[in-house]
Amino acid sequence: MATSQRPTRVDRRTILKTGAAVAAVQFASPYIIQARGETPIRIGMVDPLTGSYAAIAQSEVVGAKFATEEINKKGGILGRQVELLVEDSANDVGTGVQKTRKLIDRDQVSFIIGDVNSGIAIAMAQVTSEKKVLHIVSGGHTDPVTGTSCSWNVFRVCNATAMDCNAIASTLIEKLGKKWYFLTPDYAYGHSVQSGFEKLLKAAGGTFAGSLVPIGTPDYSSYLIQAKAFNPQVLINIMGGGDQVSSLKQFVQFGLDKQMAVAGTLFELESIRAVPDAARVGWWTMEWWWDQPGVPHVAEFNASMKKITGAAATARNWFGYASVQTLGLIANQEKTLDAVKLAHALSGFKLPPEVALQPGAPEYRAGDHELMSTVFVGEAHPPKGDPDNMFTARSLVPGEKAAGSVEDTGCKMQWPA
Amino acid sequence: MTTLLLFNITNGLIVGAFYVLMALGLSLILNLSNVINFAHGGFLVLGGYIAYAITPYVGFWGALLLAPPLTAVIGLIVERLLIRPLYGRDPLYGLLLTFGLAFMIEDGTRFIWGAQGKPVAIPPFLAQPLSSDLFFITWYRVFMVVVVIVAIALLFLLLRYTRLGIRIRAGTLDLETVAALGINVQKLRTLNFAVGIFLAGLSGVLAAGQLGLEPTMGTSLLMPSFIAIIVGGLGSLPGTLIGGLLIGVAAGITSVFFPAASEAVIYIMMAVVLLVRPRGLFGEEGIMS
Repeated sequence: MATSQRPTRVDRRTILKTGAAVAAVQFASPYIIQARGETPIRIGMVDPLTGSYAAIAQSEVVGAKFATEEINKKGGILGRQVELLVEDSANDVGTGVQKTRKLIDRDQVSFIIGDVNSGIAIAMAQVTSEKKVLHIVSGGHTDPVTGTSCSWNVFRVCNATAMDCNAIASTLIEKLGKKWYFLTPDYAYGHSVQSGFEKLLKAAGGTFAGSLVPIGTPDYSSYLIQAKAFNPQVLINIMGGGDQVSSLKQFVQFGLDKQMAVAGTLFELESIRAVPDAARVGWWTMEWWWDQPGVPHVAEFNASMKKITGAAATARNWFGYASVQTLGLIANQEKTLDAVKLAHALSGFKLPPEVALQPGAPEYRAGDHELMSTVFVGEAHPPKGDPDNMFTARSLVPGEKAAGSVEDTGCKMQWPA
Repeated sequence: MTTLLLFNITNGLIVGAFYVLMALGLSLILNLSNVINFAHGGFLVLGGYIAYAITPYVGFWGALLLAPPLTAVIGLIVERLLIRPLYGRDPLYGLLLTFGLAFMIEDGTRFIWGAQGKPVAIPPFLAQPLSSDLFFITWYRVFMVVVVIVAIALLFLLLRYTRLGIRIRAGTLDLETVAALGINVQKLRTLNFAVGIFLAGLSGVLAAGQLGLEPTMGTSLLMPSFIAIIVGGLGSLPGTLIGGLLIGVAAGITSVFFPAASEAVIYIMMAVVLLVRPRGLFGEEGIMS
């Protein structure tokens, strides 16, 4: 058999068409975690299992799955077993919305959880409001979720960005100085954190400049050159996930850590693990921490997570865990799956210690549905003793204090008639 | 302002040098095999993870030497099993295959090494800037540029003076005649593919040392490399070299005046080149038409 060796030339059109196709095609792989019982109650979870936020999204899923198992061991919700359906939003708004619709329409889930990406979380909330489904935003931080875009059916476990900013800003101003340079991811979450910080810094008479950086930027050298030219006292690194890792790594390699402080809101344990010791520096907020001596149930939860993942529990594990547990608790308390009734009951609902896993009893604030969770302000450092002991909390800021008033959030809650 | 501009131009050249390394591999494969290798970023990540896996045993330098050839071996197997059956067909087949392969590699690395990024330590003396004024030029980046220059020099020597290189170049120009002269074209393509993947693996090790490792990092590094080829001109390796440096510098200069557009500018450059000179700056006539 003769095979022609004549090359089929690749032309410009092919390449351009391909580029367009790549932009259009989204990679998604739905999977079901568990199916138990005859008529299980279904919880749908949408999170970016692929893409830049895959590590933190998977941590949330681990926590959610663990909570599902715990609830099932104790008899489920309303005597029925619970099934957790996990879908990949692929870090894309369109995909996230489509997966949410699919979970509600086809899989008939009673509740929705997600997404890590704030932009997707807001878009999902529009779907869940329209469909009247109780929705817990486990890990999308941007303010509008429980602020200007708040909705009767949407509750949030992780902090609003304003809470993290409020909790840490005064510490940064006092300890590090008032001249800041922002390295900000160019999307809802980044804008939200930066404007929160700007407001507080201006009020304290500080000055600032900054760069808006596209998500997924592989190299940060040019932004760091701009930062150095401004000569700030603090580089505020708001980048997330892999972007934060790359930017911090370069920051330290350039020796800038010796010329300015670095700080920000989140530097999650997943990210601290991904950088070398030299880049484990700076002042940050943690929204939950595994090492809280004397706080009940934290050590048990940490041990359970360690058994599953082989490492200490992260804030994301807790977000997933608390989200599912909240749904179980409130449905069993109210003995109904009716979204409106449950949402009313959740407004002002206090988490019990075995779910709160922090000092005090944080509640879902009635005015904006934000969980008033404690904010841990502290410093990152190379491991001390335990390999995951890479953060030391210097102060604990109560959620109510960090959140400010409901009026400040801009939330005007509208309930269905 | 002048200093800032100069800094950014120099920095752009360094960043561009890295894109060149990756783009050259892509370009080699595209020129001879007509495969638009979308899995190139995947092979880069694979190179980085292989280096990460063997570093505890052979150290950073050992990993730098061993990971690229190991990646090339995987490339060799992939070419033999998956890509070879598609030669002679419409290039879209190869493109779709490598597109799928890219996802398989990304998910594979995530499956093996986890979604969480991995820290890659480099020798401490490389992780220092040259001086506090030239803080953005670390010894590692100098080293990276030297590796890129050496790799390019070796590649050009290989293509110019060795039998394999001459055959690759001849094949790029007229594969049918090369085949008619009794040269085993299949073998030639396989070797050429392996050389391309070797460069991807090398890029992966270098990138891991500077940026860390993450299953998704290949995608963000791949697009600029494609643009380097298109701007430089399909079919021309020197064009690819210049294309890579140009986009690095363009992004650097833009970041002085309008940081938010520093990523978009390379796409704008590509659009302008395609409109004004569709074959690219140094591309062969006909290839891009």
